[in-house]
Amino acid sequence: MNHTLTITANNEASVVERLLQVTRYRGYQLAGLQLTPLAEMAGLLITLTVTSDKPIHLLTSQLHKLYDVRELQLASADIAALRA
Amino acid sequence: MKGAELVLQVLQQHGVDTIFGYPGGAIMPIYDAIYASPVKHYLCRHEQGGAFSAIGYARSSGKVGVCLATSGPGATNLITSLADAMLDSVPLVAITGQVSQAVMGTDAFQEIDVLGLSISVTKHSFMVRSVDELAATLHQAFAIARSGRPGPVLVDIPKDVQLAEVAVVDVAQQQPENRLTTSLAQSAKARQLIANAKKPMAYIGGGVHMASAMAQLQDFLHQCPMPSVTTLKGMGSVAKDNPYYLGMLGMHGTQAANIAVQQCDLLICLGARFDDRVTGNLKKFAPHAKVIHVDIDPAEINKVRFAQVSFLGDMQKILPAIASTTDCSDWLAHCSSLKQQHGWRYDHPGERIYAPLMLKQLSERMPNNSVVCCDVGQHQMWVAQHMRFSHPRNHLSSGGLGTMGFGLPAAIGAKLARPHDTVIAVSGDGSFMMNVQELATIKRFRLPVKIVIVDNQRLGMVKQWQQLFFNERYSETDLSDNPDFVALAAAFAIPGHSVSRKDEVESALEAMFTWPGPYLLHVRIDEKDNVWPLVPPGAANEDMLMESNQ
Ligand SMILES: Cc1ncc(C[n+]2csc(CCOP(=O)(O)OP(=O)(O)O)c2C)c(N)n1
Repeated sequence: MNHTLTITANNEASVVERLLQVTRYRGYQLAGLQLTPLAEMAGLLITLTVTSDKPIHLLTSQLHKLYDVRELQLASADIAALRA
Repeated sequence: MKGAELVLQVLQQHGVDTIFGYPGGAIMPIYDAIYASPVKHYLCRHEQGGAFSAIGYARSSGKVGVCLATSGPGATNLITSLADAMLDSVPLVAITGQVSQAVMGTDAFQEIDVLGLSISVTKHSFMVRSVDELAATLHQAFAIARSGRPGPVLVDIPKDVQLAEVAVVDVAQQQPENRLTTSLAQSAKARQLIANAKKPMAYIGGGVHMASAMAQLQDFLHQCPMPSVTTLKGMGSVAKDNPYYLGMLGMHGTQAANIAVQQCDLLICLGARFDDRVTGNLKKFAPHAKVIHVDIDPAEINKVRFAQVSFLGDMQKILPAIASTTDCSDWLAHCSSLKQQHGWRYDHPGERIYAPLMLKQLSERMPNNSVVCCDVGQHQMWVAQHMRFSHPRNHLSSGGLGTMGFGLPAAIGAKLARPHDTVIAVSGDGSFMMNVQELATIKRFRLPVKIVIVDNQRLGMVKQWQQLFFNERYSETDLSDNPDFVALAAAFAIPGHSVSRKDEVESALEAMFTWPGPYLLHVRIDEKDNVWPLVPPGAANEDMLMESNQ
């Protein structure tokens, strides 16, 4: 199943590497990645699409712990599925 | 002042007076600052050993451990210890020197991408780009290392940043960011589950003592009488006189603990994470139990086992909020009888030393509040089974990573953190050789660490698995050409003694404890002795292999 995550992160040199490392290690496949630097507060807007049979909360809970991740949102379709 | 001096100043602001490390080119400015600093540096003989000493220091004291290494090989030598701290949630700050920014990215001498290497083995890591960020970054490192679920943080500092002049500003110490909120919304539901349970069970991990909630735990077990079990890291959390404490659970847990957990109808998991060494076959683990899970790390909730009710946050607040009277006297009586029925037996035939009995004697003879640092293997499991601890800080064992070579350097750190307590390293003949160079650290600082080597002339734990699961094909586990350990210790001016008969043990322990300095006791045991019970891979925890059915 595909999941799309929207992440606001500190624009630190290593932040993308960290996101990708957690994604790979926790067993999710990368299906899309988009980066947009944000002018305000040296931020970075990241859209991450991943595929896996595993429940997505196992990934989001780990990504949330990354020190440079400020905000993380699942696409609304995913949230609806989680609530179902 | 230079960046290097600022590093030492920030350490002092965090109350750090003891650090462990090894110098080299890219960290020389910091070592130059150490030369005149009141912060005491302990020179280890391998960066892995230095970082394990910092871990032993942190785990035995509850403070943040600090270690230093140079760029390249110095930093790569830290990796195993960082991973160890990561898996056992140990607050550690590792500072590495890096080549100057002018040559970074050119494969300069001793340049390696330490930040990149650190990503999967640290809670967080930093590369300091400017001396103006140095103090704030170090403060942040300390805050991250000890906040929430503690862990290792690495700060990589290029040499030019160490050498750069920085204005002496009174760096206001950043308050550790407090992301911790405790939600008690579900406490009524938890109390109801506890009150209605016929067979409740407390499953206690390292998170309880790390939250300084030992007193709240005893109150909880007193208010809601229920049996309890602990993980390797939770050992020592339950008061020694608690009649319903069943010991460690899991692969080498006690029979009573494993049987009772399989039968319980409510499992209250406190600061633990359903590790596979604990659960055995996860699908068959505690199959009748509802779960209440209390932890500080949101990622642990529902990671491997669904919890009907979960709490995130401060264990000190959560335990009293979920306490409820229990009504389970039949279950308590049943668990007591399991404990009686499956007690350890020490009636081992013959004259040779039986390690479980020797460790029980050691446990009874060691002074109160002694710290025992283990290595990894059969001896580690025997320590967990047959020694008793009054606090988890007194039992340092590499749990998550299971790193051979942990014991001796961890004991050095523990001795420096708690100079007035006895510190004992219990090692195997294989593990001991993995950081044997740290005997030189013991010699230099005359650290009165007591070393007990349980010598079966084998990589015993691997040999046990070869015997049970690989048709007795003993591939590369023979160590019968071990060095003379007592002579080895003597080379470092550490006296020692060797024993191989049961009747020698008591006086040998006496001699070790009465000797004022470091001491090595070499205990020769039978290579045939194995660790029981053992839950074989893939089995449910009630299907334990016992010596009698071999
Ligand atoms: C660094 C490292 N390498 C390999 C292992 C795998 N391993 C686990 S236990 C063990 C044998 C340990 O032998 P010893 O220290 O003599 O202890 P014993 O099991 O004999 O008590 C090995 C090789 C490990 N845990 N750590």
